[in-house]
Amino acid sequence: MLSIKGLRANVGDKEILHGLDLEIGAGEIHAIMGPNGSGKSTLAHVLSGRDGYTVTAGSAELNGVNLLALEPEQRAHLGLFLAFQYPVELPGVNNTYFLKAALNAIRRARGESEYDAVAFMRLMKEKLRVLHLDESLLKRPVNFGFSGGEKKRNEIFQMALLEPKLAILDETDSGLDIDALRIVADGVNACRSPERSMMVVTHYQRLLDYIQPDYVHVLAHGQIIRSGGKELALELEERGYGWIEQVTEVAA
Amino acid sequence: MMTSVSNSNASIHAMPNTWLSAAPNQLAGNHMTDIKQARSVALKQVLERGLPTVKNEGWRYTSLRSLLAQNFICTPSDDVLTVNEEAHTAIETALQPALETYRVVLINGRYAPQWSYLENLPSGVQIDSLNAVLNQSPARLAAVFTQIADTAHYPFTALNIASCDDGLVILIDDGVTLERPIELLHVSTGSLNQSVTPPMMHPHHCIQLGTGAQAQLIERFVSIENAGVYCTNAVLEIALSPRAVLRHARLQLESLNAFHITGLHLQQAIGSDYSGINIGIGGAWSRTDLITRFIGEQAHCEQRGLYLVGDQQIMDYHLDIAHQVPNCSSQEQFKGILYGQGKAVFDGRILVAANAQQTDANMTNNNLLLSRNAEIDTKPQLEIYADDVKCSHGTTVGQLDPDMLFYLQSRGLTRSQARQMLSLGFAADVLTTLAPEQLHEQVINQIERRLETATF
Ligand SMILES: Nc1ncnc2c1ncn2[C@@H]1O[C@H](COP(=O)(O)OP(=O)(O)OP(=O)(O)O)[C@@H](O)[C@H]1O
Ligand SMILES: [Mg+2]
Repeated sequence: MLSIKGLRANVGDKEILHGLDLEIGAGEIHAIMGPNGSGKSTLAHVLSGRDGYTVTAGSAELNGVNLLALEPEQRAHLGLFLAFQYPVELPGVNNTYFLKAALNAIRRARGESEYDAVAFMRLMKEKLRVLHLDESLLKRPVNFGFSGGEKKRNEIFQMALLEPKLAILDETDSGLDIDALRIVADGVNACRSPERSMMVVTHYQRLLDYIQPDYVHVLAHGQIIRSGGKELALELEERGYGWIEQVTEVAA
Repeated sequence: MMTSVSNSNASIHAMPNTWLSAAPNQLAGNHMTDIKQARSVALKQVLERGLPTVKNEGWRYTSLRSLLAQNFICTPSDDVLTVNEEAHTAIETALQPALETYRVVLINGRYAPQWSYLENLPSGVQIDSLNAVLNQSPARLAAVFTQIADTAHYPFTALNIASCDDGLVILIDDGVTLERPIELLHVSTGSLNQSVTPPMMHPHHCIQLGTGAQAQLIERFVSIENAGVYCTNAVLEIALSPRAVLRHARLQLESLNAFHITGLHLQQAIGSDYSGINIGIGGAWSRTDLITRFIGEQAHCEQRGLYLVGDQQIMDYHLDIAHQVPNCSSQEQFKGILYGQGKAVFDGRILVAANAQQTDANMTNNNLLLSRNAEIDTKPQLEIYADDVKCSHGTTVGQLDPDMLFYLQSRGLTRSQARQMLSLGFAADVLTTLAPEQLHEQVINQIERRLETATF
């Protein structure tokens, strides 16, 4: 599904990703953990095409298509979705209007028929129920004045609606209370399917109790320095990152 | 050197004779001495004082040169504007959307009864053409026509009064509420004969609401498709009696061949309530002056606006809100979206006279620049002589936030769609006050279409 090889990326003349390799197969969930500032969000942004990053080496392909040559919206059309760590507020842009435009843009790009207002409302109501989101949020401007938790749930709601092939969740759990975490995790689990892969960036083992990953990777200093099964997350929870970084240094 | 008015150092432009009516004696109402007198005062003012250059503070950012270069003519021969079969269809299109209204249509500045709808007017309401009223019952306009407009400070208003011959009259008696909105449509074709100099029109509207009367006016300026060059120099005189309420939507949706001037002179008596929304999208060169005078306490005035200005366009809004009496409130909110080489001017003045205590006035002007080459000159001014008032103003000029654009693109929208959505989001709080829904939709569609085809 996703294949990243030797990816190097700069912000300005500072290199943040120092040759990163990662393979995610169809239907798999990969957790990415790692210290603050290690490059997790940078990886998510580079994959989704945000301005301000220069890729200097390596490749990233989604189902064989070179992502790095595409506009952000073309990547979305291919099935890439990023749940933002900090979802931006869009004053004056009605949430429903936005969601319908986004869904139809993606459907159009895939050669599928567009939803009319009625069919769209039906679909939205169905997805809302899963996320326990209040319908009134749909009438408001996108994320505008939403609480931190509501913003995160709105991201997962969008994922449920847009049905991506590869979803990147960037710290979707941070800022959520215990109940909201559960709801978000249920929402994510409801989206699991053999055709849908996920990259879940998190700092906490707790989320991974609910969303069981197939693999756990440690990203530090712009590289994946360790990969393992879900037991790696438990080990990290117990011991922190220090021991791996030391081991890696010794190995290098 | 200073003798030539076309010299760039001159502080006035001479008033071109062709902009004036060629047959001033035959203008409507001139059989009445006082009307004739008022017209000749206005004429004298504009001839003696001339037209302003950029040396005049109020015209600093807007030059009349492109207007003067057009050699407009006030009274073209009839065949120039004769509406043929093709134009007929174009007019029908320009009148869309069809609204449930009392409708007055002016074609090229002339009342066109065949396109208008004034049946079943309730009693106490008179809606008619200015030409008819001035000729048949001018006394009915004694308190309005030439009585509210400020010709001394507004040369184009003086020009209009010296030359106007038609327009709309609305007179609503005390206590009457008109539920159905009144629609005023200016449809212009421009010169349909390419080889002829383009027309200048001077429509003049008089609106008087009696004590406690209520009405809604929807005013639109539209051009037919492929319209030629023309200039509309419109004047409105509006008198609101005590506790009268007027909702007024003004939409300038003309072609890029159009020149547009409006002078809206509003006078508000005690407890009256005016609320206006001004949409400026069309026209090559536009100047709008919105002038409010409070003559009684506890009156309230709101002026909202949205302008969208792109290549080959200059749009200039001037507000002059005079709080001459205590206890009135006014709220002015204008937003602008600029792209390409578009240029806009916002100059808003709130005057609070020494005795106008307890005035509550607030003015904001926010601008969104979608390209580097666009230009906005914004100048809100508070001139306050009273000491117990609540007044504020604020201006912003900003660009689209790249994070917002990226967010939308990451959801599958193209950059162009994202730009449209965010621009409309920026304008949303002004646009929501625009009713009815069909009109709101029409304006949004036009903004979307313009931004879709724009270069940035
Ligand atoms: N626009 C930028 N300008 C300068 N430095 C940047 C920029 N964006 C990211 N960086 C730097 O790149 C490094 C990686 O940042 P990134 O946001 O990817 O970390 P992260 O792993 O997501 O951290 P966190 O766990 O705190 O979210 C940091 O040192 C950060 O300061
Ligand atoms: Mg991060």
